[in-house]
Amino acid sequence: MIATAASNRRRQRIFLIAGAILAAYALLAPLTSLDAAQSANVPLLADKFWFQIATNIAMFIVMATAWNIIGGITGYAAFGNVAFFGIGAYTTGMLIAKAKWPFLLALPLAPVVAAAFAALVGLPLLRLRGHYFAVASLGVGVAVGELVQNIDYAGQPVFGGASGLFLPIFRIDNRGLFFFYLMSAAAALSIAVTWWMLRSRLGYGLIAIRENEEAASVLGVNTTAYKVAAFALAAALTGLAGGIFSQWNVFVNQDNVFPITYNIQMILMALLGGTGTVFGPATGAVLLYLLIQFLGGTLPISFDLPFVSSDARPIVAQVILGLLLVVVVIFVPRGVIDFFGGRTRLSVAYLRRSLRETSL
Amino acid sequence: MSAVAATPQLELRGVTKRFGGVAAVDGVNFEVAKGDIVGIIGPNGAGKTTLLNCISGIHHLDSGDIRWEGASIAGMAPHRIANLGIGRTFQIVKPFGSMTARENVAIGALFGSAHMRRGMKQAFALADEVLELVGLKAKADQPVSALTIPDRKRLEVARAVATRPQLLLLDEVMAGLNNVEIDEALEMVRSVHATGVTVLLIEHVMRVIVGVCRRAIVLDSGRVLAEGEPEVVLRDERVIEAYLGERYAKRLKSS
Repeated sequence: MIATAASNRRRQRIFLIAGAILAAYALLAPLTSLDAAQSANVPLLADKFWFQIATNIAMFIVMATAWNIIGGITGYAAFGNVAFFGIGAYTTGMLIAKAKWPFLLALPLAPVVAAAFAALVGLPLLRLRGHYFAVASLGVGVAVGELVQNIDYAGQPVFGGASGLFLPIFRIDNRGLFFFYLMSAAAALSIAVTWWMLRSRLGYGLIAIRENEEAASVLGVNTTAYKVAAFALAAALTGLAGGIFSQWNVFVNQDNVFPITYNIQMILMALLGGTGTVFGPATGAVLLYLLIQFLGGTLPISFDLPFVSSDARPIVAQVILGLLLVVVVIFVPRGVIDFFGGRTRLSVAYLRRSLRETSL
Repeated sequence: MSAVAATPQLELRGVTKRFGGVAAVDGVNFEVAKGDIVGIIGPNGAGKTTLLNCISGIHHLDSGDIRWEGASIAGMAPHRIANLGIGRTFQIVKPFGSMTARENVAIGALFGSAHMRRGMKQAFALADEVLELVGLKAKADQPVSALTIPDRKRLEVARAVATRPQLLLLDEVMAGLNNVEIDEALEMVRSVHATGVTVLLIEHVMRVIVGVCRRAIVLDSGRVLAEGEPEVVLRDERVIEAYLGERYAKRLKSS
């Protein structure tokens, strides 16, 4: 029935240790691909394909964790955060491709430009509440991508137009490893920022806004400034991921840095893992990314879905994903991280309680 | 503390707020002296809560002016008014549901007047102090959902008190409480007032107005109908007609 406090603590410790071991393995396994490790006959634990997946996971950890700052902690359902990813990617991309800046100098400007843009659109947008904000932010997310692709000056596309931007390859040994660690550092930074926030004046102010904006304002919270700060902070982190992506991918266009699907995916990752928490969105990012790739058949571990032809597979994968997410939202409203905190366990009683909570 | 000061702490001049064609508050004038404790009464729809919303910056005035220690605060954002030292509660309590009682009160301490001088530790220390003052110390670490209705009302007051206000606006903190709970709440209001806070309270419970207020202001249809000592005001013919009804008038005369 009710687990005792001691056994809860033990369970929480077990989950923490398991998480730490997984993270340590993910971060250390790639080192076995180094020449030095190979000549010392260390078994290869991670190859190039693995970097690709792991770097993508880290990228989504940044996006989901950053979305959590505005969507989870502040409670403003932003549907257009991919704009910040794209702006970050194009900022770094333009500086490298057109202005010939070195990557490491161009990267810091990605979060700066993305945050400045967020502050600018945030001031009018964050006056809207509920669905209105969600729809308006979605509009911004779509519009920015279209604008970037279609702005011309003197008959020439300013940002590379429909053919996109090609960046020179960043010359460094073990490039795959470099970008994996860089993206992982961005993921760690976004988690650290969230951890710090939830213990700071800023975080308390944002949660107060989420819980009751009017009460927050009469208690002295400068709601406009706090909401814009949260939006800009989310944009900065998302923009940083975009900046890293542009040099990693060496090609940037509307399709790969402004995909609408990212908007949905980062929100679903945060929901699946647990909004408003430090590690929830990251947990959700790992689980959902792997699931999407597994269903799509792009992971080395895969099997044929019964009764499904390989042509129909992507569609069936979407359907399965959709169903799963409906189930998660209804039955696990606080995200799977709820089970790792040590307080609750997955049980029929838990699912029934959740259903009562989420239904009218 | 002196009941009358040279410049009034709060001064309302011709305060008017319209919703569509209806003037919910219509040319209201009054003053509140520092350290005073004033009650606002009036029938439902008289404009009491609208008036509080005007003072705390939630509503913008259509005309008139509100002065705080001589300077106009009309048109200021709610958080700036809170930072000046005007705290308030809501009639329908608005707790931060995901937080504990202590965290709720700490929000007031973190963001209220002179908050920048308070770090996280000091803010939580102040929250504990205020929780003790309102009698919620034992429930500090409970989530809001575990609190009873009277406790939620206390929490609402505690949060406002933690902003360290010089003026506290209370919107029907006694509504829905039984007699014993009202006595406890009265004690709470008295002890807050005793710390030097000016109190302006809206109340339907006449016992509260007579019990703690030095002055009462009667609102009717958005206008000030009468103003003065509670006992005198409650005997005023117009007030009895507009609000209290004859039965109460008879009871009052026989007592």
